[in-house]
Order: sequence, then structure tokens, then C-alpha cells
Amino acid sequence: MIASAFLQWSNQRCRYLYVTALVMATMASSISAARADVFDTVQAHGFLSQALIISRHNDFFGPSSKDAGSLQYTEVGANVSMRPSNNLLVSAQVLSRRAGDDNSSYEPRLDYGLLDYQFITGNNRVAGVQIGKLKQPFGIYNQTRDVAFTRPSILLPQSIYFDRTRAPALSSEGVSVYEEEHLPFGILYFQAGVGKANTDSNVKHTIWNSNVPASIDGALSSIGQVVYEHGPGNIIAALTIADANIDIDGPHGAPDRYSFKPIIMSLQYNHGYWSLTGEYALRHQSFTGGSFDQSVVGESWYLQYTQRFLEDWQWLLRYDSLVNNRDDPKGKKFEADGRGADHSQFARDWTLGLQWNATPDLLLSTEYHHVNGTGWLPRDQDVSDQYWGMFLLQASWRF
Amino acid sequence: MPKGMIILVSVVMLLLWCSQATYAHESVVLIANPSTQPGNMTRETVRAIFAMRQRTLPDGEAAHVFVLPDKHPLHERFTKEILGVYPHQLRLSWDRLVFSGTGQAPNQVKSIEEMRQRVANTPGGLGYLEKGAVDDSVSVFAVE
Repeated sequence: MIASAFLQWSNQRCRYLYVTALVMATMASSISAARADVFDTVQAHGFLSQALIISRHNDFFGPSSKDAGSLQYTEVGANVSMRPSNNLLVSAQVLSRRAGDDNSSYEPRLDYGLLDYQFITGNNRVAGVQIGKLKQPFGIYNQTRDVAFTRPSILLPQSIYFDRTRAPALSSEGVSVYEEEHLPFGILYFQAGVGKANTDSNVKHTIWNSNVPASIDGALSSIGQVVYEHGPGNIIAALTIADANIDIDGPHGAPDRYSFKPIIMSLQYNHGYWSLTGEYALRHQSFTGGSFDQSVVGESWYLQYTQRFLEDWQWLLRYDSLVNNRDDPKGKKFEADGRGADHSQFARDWTLGLQWNATPDLLLSTEYHHVNGTGWLPRDQDVSDQYWGMFLLQASWRF
Repeated sequence: MPKGMIILVSVVMLLLWCSQATYAHESVVLIANPSTQPGNMTRETVRAIFAMRQRTLPDGEAAHVFVLPDKHPLHERFTKEILGVYPHQLRLSWDRLVFSGTGQAPNQVKSIEEMRQRVANTPGGLGYLEKGAVDDSVSVFAVE
């Protein structure tokens, strides 16, 4: 599966990598004349995760409710980074991700590729700028959401980190500035970025919910995040506001813009061996232009408890709730209008999970989800049951 | 003396002895390459550098961070006593930087001797040792 993913390496993606490699090589050679030790800063890291999903009633990431389940959840990534000068970091990562059998979406692509320059590094303040393809600081988990080692569970809370429109939330091509203020009792962190939103075929399907011939393209988008970390991170509070825009080139009368404007509030309490995490999001989505002027506000939140025990083990309990439309939380109006089943408009997910760091480089995880509603299931799945469950196993290795 | 009292006193004595045994450890100190001039670094700055969020020392020199494996007792003591975090929390913050392209992992050494040598031979090198293990090859820095 992984081999076939790499065989699907497209020319366009290769060009991205060549350009990144060329930039890095040029910078490296220009600096290496003066300092050979720059090459000592080169690092390469990667990860590989494979999951087995067995579900009851509904499918998630492939035919998980049939036979022995689905293996169509694979994440493979590799990155390189170096510091050509004291304040500069250059890095790029390639990611191949398969989440259900959606054709070519698991061909390797550039996940991020950036220059990060820190122009202030004092005792009280660190400030820098990032340019390139950047991962978005969206909530607590977004920037490394595809890396199992940084997740508390195999699946992140789907109400906020759902798959359908992950591309515009995931990354953008642009510029971002950040500042870290060292206060006597903690750290205040601020980041703001503008760029062109990322898109993919999933986003198109979600926007159109049909096979209407249309093309979409990322438009100017922005994101801002403020984080306060108390002490050495005992309490983490964050506020994220984003405005992701996608231009639509469709048939006459169709909307010409899709906008996604989430506000996320995050709060985490860390007590060394246990953590309590909660995030609440209001998700404004709108279609404008043509004869359209539709907008809908969705509401997402979850509360999650994790506890480490026996040093290398961690268990998790989480309740996660999604409502697609705050004005119609139970989907009654949606169903009355003949647009689909009411339970497709919400999802309430109880998750119980277990992780074991068998070695520092090998993570084994399992979890069970009991779900009421199909709010975050793929839209093309027309036969769905309101109450369903799934059991997942995942092995993840890194270097 | 009633039996209960004897047991209680014994338990208290045992606890005191145990806590003394804990304190019998020498204190862990922050060390740097002798050519490095970190100046006065606050605990927040040391934390930002070892969390790999800050890449240079306050004087502008590139920081090169050396750490022992996560489960090494000295690493555990350093993270808890100097940084105020657990090794698994520090590992998570490194992973989040490494896999989002916004930072690098620290250089991992296998032994205390390798820690001393690498810090001694790397300009901008930062690490940690037990106080008694420090020699002239590295300098010790107090954390404010």
C-alpha cells in the first residue's frame, strides 16, 4: 500500500520538492563556504502509521463495517530541516495520507515548506516570521494532526478536527508572524498569518455535495491565535480566529465564494500525569455570489481526560459533540425540508482509548467510539444509521 | 510506649530517612560551552531554549541543545527541577515543532560523559550535569 502510494508520486509534487531542495541546497552551499558546521544542523525525521478500523452500521475511512474491517487509514511522512544561520530555520515535509478509498488523495504531497526567521531572541521576548507553505495554528492539535505521536487518540475529536474540510484549515501558502512574551508567571504567545487557503477534492465535494462541474481555488485567507501558558504549561488557554476563503468557478448562478470562519476557544490543564482538555468552536460557513447568500453557524465542543500510568501507558475518555447548524441542532427542519435524515446534522461521540509507548519510537493505540449521529461522516455515504460504533487499532513508528 | 506509637515513630523515621536519601542526590546544573556567553538567563529563557522554541542565546549565538534519553534519571531530574516539566511533556513539545516545521529536535547523547564532551566541543552548546561531575571543560550557569 505504501509502495503504491509512492509510485503515484506526481510530477507536480516532485517539482515542489525539487524547488524546496534547490532552495535549501543553494542556501546551504552559499553559507557552507563560511561555516561547514551548518551541515551539522541538518535533521531528518519521519513517521509511519497504519490503522485497522472495524465499525458497526456505518463505514469510516473505507469499508470498515464489512468483513474484517478497513485498513484504509495510513499516514506516512518525512521531513528535513536545517539552520543555515543562527536565526534561520529551513524545513519541509512530504506527507502521504490515505483516509478511505478516495482515489489519489494519498499521493505524496508537500505538507509544509518554510523559512522561519527569528529576529528577536531575548530573555523577555522571542519574535519571528515564517514564509512558505505553513501549517495553520488552529486549536491545540491542528499543526501536527497527522502525526500519531502528537495525538492523544487515533482520531482527533472530529467535531473540530474533522476530515471533510480539513484542507483549508490545515495549511496555507503565505506569511506568518509570531511573538512570544516571557512574563513573570507564564508565556503569552501570539501568531497571525495571511495566505492562500489550501484546497483538495474533499473540499470540493463538501462544498458542492454533487457532481456539478466546477473548479475551486484558494483565495486570500487569514488566521490569528493567542495562547497563554501559565507556569511551565500547567494551564494553556488559547483563542483562534480564522477566515478561510475559496473561490468557486461554477455554472451560471452558482455561488462564487465559500467562506469558513471558525472561532475556537481551547483550555487545557496539565497535572504532570493527567490532563483535562476542552475546546469549543463556532463555525461560520457561507456561500455568497450568484443567486446565493447562505450562511450557517455550526457548533462543536469536546471535553477530554487523559491519564498516564505505568510510565508508558495512557488512557483517554472523551465526549465530543458536533451540531452542523445551531438554528436546527437536531436536524428536524433539515429533514422536514426533504434534504436528508435529521441525524446527519449532529454527532455525539463517546471515546475510550488506550496508548502504549512500547519503545520511544513505537506507539500502539486502540480506542472505541460510540456515536449518536452521522454529522462528520462523508456526505456521499447515503445509507447511514443514527447509532453506530467503531473500534480502532493503530501502530505508529517514527524516526 | 504503646505499640501504635512505636510504629508511627518508625514510619516517620523511615520517611525522613527516605527523603534524606532523595536529597543525597547532588543538584543538577545547567552547563555550557566555555566560549559561550549566555549572560543571565531566566528560567523562561532556559525553558524556551530546551523546549526548542528559541534558537539563539540572548547574545545572539546559535544554541545547540544536548539532552540524555527521556528515561535517563539525570534527564528526568533536569526537566523536573530546572524546567518544571515531565520528560513526556518536553518530548511532546519537540514533536509538535519537528513535525510542523517550526523547530528542530535537540541533539540526543547516550551518556553523561558524551554530554560533557559534546557541550565542551560545540560552540553554543548547552546541557546539564550533576554538580560533582563538572570539570574545567564546561562552564556552569545559574538559572535565575
